[in-house]
Amino acid sequence: MNTKDLISMAVRNLLKRKLRTVLTVLGVVIGTASIVVMISIGIGMNESFARQLEGWGSLQVIDVSPSGGMSYDEESGRMKQEKKQDPLDNKAVETFKQMEHVEAASPVKTSYFMLGAGKYVADANIMGIDPAAMEALGYKVEEGRALNAEDSRAIVVGGGVEFYDPKLSWEMRYTSEPPQVEILDKKIDVSYDWNYGSRYADKKIKATKMEVVGTLSAEGNDSYWVIMPIKELEKIQKARDDWEKSKYGGSSSSSNRNQTKEFDEVRVKVDKMDNVQAVQQQIKDMGFRASSLTDQLEAMKETTKMLRIVLGAIGAISMVVAAISITNTMVMAIYERTREIGIMKVIGASLRDIKLLFLTEAAFIGLAGGLVGIVVSFGVSQVVNLVAMQQGSNMTSSIPIWLYAGAVAFATGIGILSGYLPAQRAMRLSALTAIKTE
Amino acid sequence: MGENIIRIRNVKKIYQMGSESIPAVNGISLNIRQGEVCCLLGKSGSGKSTLLNLVAGLEKPTEGQIIFHKKHIERMNEDQLADFRQKYVGFVFQSYNLLPTLTALENVTLPLIFKSVPVKERNERAMEMLKAVGLEERAAHKPQEMSGGQQQRVSIARAFVNRPPVVFADEPTGNLDTKTTYEMMDLITGLAKQNNQTLVIVTHDLELSEYADRIVMLQDGRIEKIEDRRKEKEETETAAREKGTAVKAEGEDGHD
Repeated sequence: MNTKDLISMAVRNLLKRKLRTVLTVLGVVIGTASIVVMISIGIGMNESFARQLEGWGSLQVIDVSPSGGMSYDEESGRMKQEKKQDPLDNKAVETFKQMEHVEAASPVKTSYFMLGAGKYVADANIMGIDPAAMEALGYKVEEGRALNAEDSRAIVVGGGVEFYDPKLSWEMRYTSEPPQVEILDKKIDVSYDWNYGSRYADKKIKATKMEVVGTLSAEGNDSYWVIMPIKELEKIQKARDDWEKSKYGGSSSSSNRNQTKEFDEVRVKVDKMDNVQAVQQQIKDMGFRASSLTDQLEAMKETTKMLRIVLGAIGAISMVVAAISITNTMVMAIYERTREIGIMKVIGASLRDIKLLFLTEAAFIGLAGGLVGIVVSFGVSQVVNLVAMQQGSNMTSSIPIWLYAGAVAFATGIGILSGYLPAQRAMRLSALTAIKTE
Repeated sequence: MGENIIRIRNVKKIYQMGSESIPAVNGISLNIRQGEVCCLLGKSGSGKSTLLNLVAGLEKPTEGQIIFHKKHIERMNEDQLADFRQKYVGFVFQSYNLLPTLTALENVTLPLIFKSVPVKERNERAMEMLKAVGLEERAAHKPQEMSGGQQQRVSIARAFVNRPPVVFADEPTGNLDTKTTYEMMDLITGLAKQNNQTLVIVTHDLELSEYADRIVMLQDGRIEKIEDRRKEKEETETAAREKGTAVKAEGEDGHD
């Protein structure tokens, strides 16, 4: 018997008993939909965590810092001295860049300078990075552009950096509306003089003119930062150190760090979120400290794991019920069609034909249930999201394509599995007894 | 007449009913010849149907051998039996055994479907067969829309569509009236003779045995008597020929 005849015969047999077929399919629909919706809520939760964390920064970025301090030892439960490993210097950055899945790595140095634009100034946290890596590191540039390899005296200013008039009194600064300062594509002053712009300003300190090539979003972790090529930051720091030395004498701690060429932090960008943990572990194995937002994500996922398991189990139970109902339907069909099976056997159906016929029928019940089930899941998922949106809950539902495809395949598989026993039974029916059945 | 197509060697079929052994077939040996119409005649309980079921491979004998060509039917497993039935055997039943949801044409194509014959060819062959049984106009009808005689014609068409070497008919006219019975017997023996197919008919009706080349009379699971009508027929034919009288050639022996 060829496949086409097998399928057409199976479909005809199912259509012959429409009501029962529809009811059985309905069971599979409910089973499929409940599994898909439950899983989708689990996925939705994880996605909403990820979205939440995205607001704080990129989930693909690992922050690496030097080891050598104290850390908590999980095995002994005590604090222990970390082994001092290679310094977190340019060589380490190059090593990170060579690692698999790493797209970019940049050293990070931070400082605190004043910005000056016309009569207004701003206190700014400065982050010096490798300008070539800025794009890759996932800073959310709102206007203008990110820094690139050619940039030297260029900065990108966070949307949260607020300018004020230094001539105003302290109270006035905080109570008056912050002035709207147009800085994009303008050259502004960057100075290490904390009194820059005010009447206490040190006239000997020369500000560096830098062009604002872009601005960052006013939301998220980076909004209060001003991004600058690390070389420029180092130059200004050097100038400050020299100035401090000339003014107070001696050497400061920061100058020591400059000499050792070790960075406070290195940011490593990984190609995919899924690879972050692996790369992070590799870096840890090298003896550095490494953390990323995916740590938090993992922790969040861990806390909801139980909930997700319970949700999945609820779906699975409905699927088990559906599977039993398929088996029941097929067993009933065999009782009703005993004679028919006998006739088919006598006039030349092979055992394989009989078995395949019943398996195909069961598979079609599963397939139909799976297909309708994913349509229903889509609808339910929309409703869940609508309700979640109205209530501001993060219990959203998200169905990726693989879940749709997987659900249809799973339902069909369940159909075949449920049909296996009845099919076996039909195959073993004695042709003679079957024919004698009235 | 041809060589032996089926050889039955000392076959026994004993049913166990509790502690009692009931021999339905109790040591039968018989050769069925290629192209003959063989009638197993006997009363109810004589073992004729059981014998047919054994020969057709629907039941396994308790003892003895049944050899089709050179193959031992009693040694075949279910798969081999299915294959054997598909390739070599056609069935006509008393209760027609048509699939009620299929049309006449579809019922006739069924053996060809199981044999994976392409759609076009099998429809042509089934239609041809329906024509041969005089039912081409009813091709699209379902069994319940047809009379008993028509249903049996469909079932005959189904039994012959695959041109099996052997067709078994178990009380094929048991549910039909006298007139239809003769029509049906003419049809079934005619078809068998046309293609030199072997026909084994089980019946309790002595009149039907008129159509047979050989009558095997059964009683209590044993062969009581074998009557070779061919010889008689040949004798009458020869006698008739000698007399120069035209004789209705029932046997169409030219095929042998």
